[in-house]
Amino acid sequence: MTAPVLDKTDYDVLNVVALKKMVAAEVVAADTGTADVESVLARLEERGLIVVAAGAAFPTDDAEPALAAAAAHHYAAVREDAGLAPLVDRFETVNAQFLTTMSSWQQIDVGGRRVTNDHSDAEYDGKVIARLDKLVQRLGPLLDALAGHDPRFGAYPRRFAAALDGIDAGRHELVSAPTLDSVHNVWFEFHEDLLRTLGRARVE
Amino acid sequence: MAEVLAEGYNVFDTAKSPSGTIKYLSAPADVINLIKSGKLQEHILLVRGGTTTFLAPALSMGAIGVITMSGAPESHLGILSREFQTPCVMTAYLTDSDSRYVVGQTGDEHFEEIAKALDGRKVRLDCTDHEVGRVVADD
Repeated sequence: MTAPVLDKTDYDVLNVVALKKMVAAEVVAADTGTADVESVLARLEERGLIVVAAGAAFPTDDAEPALAAAAAHHYAAVREDAGLAPLVDRFETVNAQFLTTMSSWQQIDVGGRRVTNDHSDAEYDGKVIARLDKLVQRLGPLLDALAGHDPRFGAYPRRFAAALDGIDAGRHELVSAPTLDSVHNVWFEFHEDLLRTLGRARVE
Repeated sequence: MAEVLAEGYNVFDTAKSPSGTIKYLSAPADVINLIKSGKLQEHILLVRGGTTTFLAPALSMGAIGVITMSGAPESHLGILSREFQTPCVMTAYLTDSDSRYVVGQTGDEHFEEIAKALDGRKVRLDCTDHEVGRVVADD
């Protein structure tokens, strides 16, 4: 017997759990705008799609297949949108540039050797931040097109803007900190979300 | 000198040289069970790829060391391991085997051979070289 396809509320909640890998209920509620997130999480746990441990929800091994099946159903129109394909292809190029830029934030080249960036060179850091800003701006058309299909994609530009504003205000940890809603975290979640929405596999 | 079991890309130079029993993680449930067991810090974690995104909770919960069998230091996992300062050897291969990972051309047997040889071994990571990360026998 095939399990019924997740409805959109359940999909949105499970999607956030799967994107964040380990997440508290309050964060899921804030991210999805779901009113009664506790009962959705309880339902997903009952279906064996999440487990709750250490005060956080984790996706189980069954979460990805369930999300994939539901995405095929909910995003059939997105996948058929011919206008989206060139924007998605462009994303792959921008993504490669993003990963390189993120590495150059963490490490600098000294005589051909990569060493940890101690962030003592404000000019160097400023250039990396400017490049990141430009790369985020390049996602604009793709994010707009996706938000036209599903308004939840509108959260990404808001989250990017909040992180970039914080960086401008001197909170440089918002570039790459894995425990904050940093540019790297938002980008990574968007990439995973995009692949799932389109039913594509990640390129190693 | 201690036996070098495997080598790969060193994600970042560090004097940290974590020691533990290698645990192969093949699915999200393995990560959850390991975190629940409270024994996360006894293990060096072995995963298949640099895009193995289910490893993130283990890093944030204090994993001591990571070995991957594919992927580049510029990948998501590489970025995370530098952020958490968790020593990480990527695209590791067995020093006593000729099998090497090639993007898009490597079959399951390559990964299975490495997992079989390393899972359960007591090792230490040597990440002092600026290019090569080493998995050294510590039993």
